[in-house]
Amino acid sequence: MNQILGSGWRKGLTLALLAAATSAIALTIWGVLGAHSAAPRTGPLSVRAGLEQTPGPMVRGDGLFTGKAGSKHQLGAAVSGAMIGPLSPVAVGSPDGRLVAYNTWQEQRPVDSERSFSKQSIGPGDVLGTPSLRVQDDTGKDSLIERGAYSAAWRQDGAIAFVKGTDPDFRAARSYDGQIVVRAGVRGRDVVWTKDAAHYVVYAWAGSRLLFYRVGLGEKLELLVADAPGSIRSLADGSAIALSPDGTRVAVLGQDATSARVLDVATGGELAWLDVTTATPSVAWLGYSGSWVGDHIVAPASPGLAVLSVGSRSLELEQVLSLDHAQFPVGVQEPRFVDTDGNEIAASADVPPTNGSPAVSFLLVCDRIARSCGHGEPAPAKQWQRLVAVTPATSEGGQ
Amino acid sequence: MKVRASIAAAVLAVTLLIPANAFAYVTWLGFTRQSNLASTLTMTWFVPNGSSGGGPGYYASQSWRAGSGVSRDACWIGHGWLPVGTYDLWGHWDNYNGVIAGRVFYLQNKPCWNGTWRTELFVHSEETAAQGQYCPTAGDDPYCWEGPSDYYSNGCIKVSRAGFPSDLRLVHDGWHARSGDHRHGYFTIDDWLTVRDG
Repeated sequence: MNQILGSGWRKGLTLALLAAATSAIALTIWGVLGAHSAAPRTGPLSVRAGLEQTPGPMVRGDGLFTGKAGSKHQLGAAVSGAMIGPLSPVAVGSPDGRLVAYNTWQEQRPVDSERSFSKQSIGPGDVLGTPSLRVQDDTGKDSLIERGAYSAAWRQDGAIAFVKGTDPDFRAARSYDGQIVVRAGVRGRDVVWTKDAAHYVVYAWAGSRLLFYRVGLGEKLELLVADAPGSIRSLADGSAIALSPDGTRVAVLGQDATSARVLDVATGGELAWLDVTTATPSVAWLGYSGSWVGDHIVAPASPGLAVLSVGSRSLELEQVLSLDHAQFPVGVQEPRFVDTDGNEIAASADVPPTNGSPAVSFLLVCDRIARSCGHGEPAPAKQWQRLVAVTPATSEGGQ
Repeated sequence: MKVRASIAAAVLAVTLLIPANAFAYVTWLGFTRQSNLASTLTMTWFVPNGSSGGGPGYYASQSWRAGSGVSRDACWIGHGWLPVGTYDLWGHWDNYNGVIAGRVFYLQNKPCWNGTWRTELFVHSEETAAQGQYCPTAGDDPYCWEGPSDYYSNGCIKVSRAGFPSDLRLVHDGWHARSGDHRHGYFTIDDWLTVRDG
């Protein structure tokens, strides 16, 4: 019995040692392969349905959805980026996380986008609609910030910048001109920061400086920076890809969307430059309104997404992630890193109307290492399903 | 009889000698979206039977390569091509002087499919207010047609300014000649342009 037990014990020990050695070898191989596969690689993204939870608060229609369960909070009006598109977030949270400012659009008369204005008896000067900014607090109280206003950005001290229209109403054959105002809190006093009325859109605060656009003829975009009220300078002809986490640098896109630059916000000086059409890997174009975390930037790109690596004096295209254009014909807008490592990316992907089916919008959440994404349920594109943009509690954040 | 025949022949001769552009035809444009760099702008005009010497009349057209936007997302301000639908013309200038210059046609605003308003849209090219070329650098100059990459735009429809006559000139002169409309500045022409997918 003892012998049997002894023999069995020795056999058991031998087997255990063998198993341990095998495990060690397997772990070594796993570690090597794992480390290799952790490197971000260019290639296609696989997109599957079944996104179980959004990586942050989200707006859609007249709802603000928060928490893991996506509890709905009723908004005072439906969200809409009618006047801003993806130039500025449709909803943006305050630094303390207690308030969400959001853009709305009150249609004053129905407009059929397929037909000309003349066929709808819309004449020059006729009112088409009115943009407004509203705010909801964490108790569910919802109120108007300003009628005839759009594009909000919170400063660290709780001040809010936005565009206030010269005429609150958007009219046919009239440019929607306004001024940039900064309000000291939701109920504070307005200070006008611009000298002349123009077609502006607020982008973001870079510390105490405000970045905003002037939209010109042919929708030419000019990125401006205000150092203080009335102290305005041009930063770039083009648009903003992303603002650095500390707000000192901004990555900008040229008018032709083929070149990216990193600029010092304080001086306007160029720190790095990249032609994305000749880079390796390369893309035909980049889009604006991306995100910057650590030393990585994510931006919309012709194939889908591009991730850039930023140094103090360098800018490189690190990874290109392509989407199936049969599934998402127009790619994505407003991609954002949703983790601190810069590996997870959330973005909006709209599918235009086809054969009488209305346009829909998906929220994608992608792992750029695994090159896989999950998407949520489609929402009507006119409901503006978007993540709420986060204003970091300190100057460390980025957009 | 000979006198009548001579008068009739003279009238006929004079009629035939009058250039076609002396007639005002109903004229409109179509933009078929195929790609950002290579879509098609078509001018169509209807020649009624009175102009063609009898019969039901006919449609005539002329097409040019044209571009719009950088992306196919019509909801992307300053980046996507212009939305589908029919547009009124809001004005035309020969010597427009701005970030867009020279011969330009100004289009109405249009919402895309998620409600984003596209504004400040034109049909134009890259030339100076004096309709010339200004190419001071080796790079991409805004008033200089360097090549096919200039078909890209922030959303406007762009035609080539290269060659003689350039496509811009053919569009511009063709519009005045076919439509008989020689107005400049702000004015409205209903249903001037239709944008559709090709």
